Amino acid sequence: MTALEISGLAKEYVDSYSGDRVTAIGEVTFTVEEGEFVSILGPSGCGKTTVLNIIAGFVEQTAGTVKVGGRVVDGPGPDRGVVFQNHALFPWKTVLGNAAFGLRMKGIPAARRREIALEHLELVGLAGFENRYPHELSGGMRQRLGVARVLANEPAVMLMDEPFASIDAQTRRKLQEDLTRVFELRRPTVFFVTHDIDEAVFLSDRVVVLSRRPSRVREIVTVDLPRPRDWQGTTALPEFREIANHITALLSEGGDREGPELTAA
Amino acid sequence: MVAPTDGALDRAATRTPRRRLAVWLRRVTRTGAVRTLGPFVPIVVLWWLAAELEVFPAAFFVGPDAVLTEFLDLMRKGVLPGYLSDSLTRLAYGIGFGLLIGLPMGFLVAMSAWARRLTWPLLLFFQAIADIAWLPIVIVWFGFSLTAVTFVIVYTIVFPLVLAVVSGVEQVPQELVRAARSLGAGRFRVFVEVIVPGALPAVAGGIRTGLGYGWRALIAAEIIVGTSGVGFMMFDARRVGDVSEVFLGMIVLGVLWYAMDALVLAPFERATVERWGMVRQVEAGR
Repeated sequence: MTALEISGLAKEYVDSYSGDRVTAIGEVTFTVEEGEFVSILGPSGCGKTTVLNIIAGFVEQTAGTVKVGGRVVDGPGPDRGVVFQNHALFPWKTVLGNAAFGLRMKGIPAARRREIALEHLELVGLAGFENRYPHELSGGMRQRLGVARVLANEPAVMLMDEPFASIDAQTRRKLQEDLTRVFELRRPTVFFVTHDIDEAVFLSDRVVVLSRRPSRVREIVTVDLPRPRDWQGTTALPEFREIANHITALLSEGGDREGPELTAA
Repeated sequence: MVAPTDGALDRAATRTPRRRLAVWLRRVTRTGAVRTLGPFVPIVVLWWLAAELEVFPAAFFVGPDAVLTEFLDLMRKGVLPGYLSDSLTRLAYGIGFGLLIGLPMGFLVAMSAWARRLTWPLLLFFQAIADIAWLPIVIVWFGFSLTAVTFVIVYTIVFPLVLAVVSGVEQVPQELVRAARSLGAGRFRVFVEVIVPGALPAVAGGIRTGLGYGWRALIAAEIIVGTSGVGFMMFDARRVGDVSEVFLGMIVLGVLWYAMDALVLAPFERATVERWGMVRQVEAGR
């Protein structure tokens, strides 16, 4: 079943400084199947995050539709949970309060809410931290909580906006591995924005590669690597390198005209 | 190679007692009483010296001992407790109504674009009329009454409070609102769960400022309306030339504000915005 269906998405905006109309997203079409992990990659400034913001309902598109479970959506909703780059946890709520927030909005009784939230905190490795406040957690732990907060709410799709971009390299590796483990265990539907090619290949079932602005889908690359995956084993596979090199080539081709602006870090 | 060793030994020998003294000092300065009263010691000493050495004529400048005697005297006569309770009652009414009006008004102006367009020019206009500038007309309307004083205090508190709430609401990160919306919160829940607590650091600051203004307005109003209260006491003492009573009044004001901060404002902030890591702690190392 198709969980998320994006068709003909376009975004134009008026540059407030020059007054020009700028086409950020030309035409983007792709789908995410239920239980699938799809990443979106593209040259910097190509509007990856804008695509996510439109899907989440934070930003209105100029044209095109977003369907979740076959139904057109408009505006934010609990069927599309978002993990933010800067975590966006509620500082005035404990770890447990954050994890249970969506359940509380749904009106689930306190005892059941606590049970579900604790289960998801354990899933992401935050058991024992439920009474802490977000400012007492490390950057990596905050993102774990961000994932738990969304998964506890059982959205149709989890949208992740470069969640590991501002985290140090070592912690990032661990988070990527743990996210893969959680994904393989629970099989949520995930749409993941990143600018890190290795990260996209390691995590995903498919990678949507965008061209530079006005962005279109350049290619949708299928990542047919065996699961369960772990960083050392998976990245050592010759197929992994092949796919990563292929995507690197796709991205640098798109950048040739105006000079390479590609960042793979 | 002998000299450096000697030097090191020398340094070690002097370091140990010095370090012990440092540890002892740190332990002493950590107690609450020393922290609270410590900074006042040099001031009181200077004050006492200035009085003893008669830097100023004794009729204009009295020492701590004279003020203490005055304090005990006024306590025994029951004058000071009576005036204090008058002042505090007025302040409580003023603060109560001030918060009751200022907070909802602030959130209304902050949340609704048309409410802001409608009220912003009015807010700026009425803010410009200083609190005490209202006293003449307020006395005409309400006489020398609790209502008159309360009106002035409320007036002073409301404006900084409204402005603080508006800026607090503006400071709530957009991402938090988005997060709540994508977790299923509707507009009302976003307001209660995100906007109000998110604005709290600025609102707490606004309450602090507002109370400070209200406190000053109270004293000013008491001086002018003048029937009772700490402000009245000070001005009345000036009229009869009792400098020690004026000094006493000033000290009482400082002590009361300090107590209000220590007993109400600071605990509130510690339990909320500081605990949530939303502001740096007001006093370092608490």
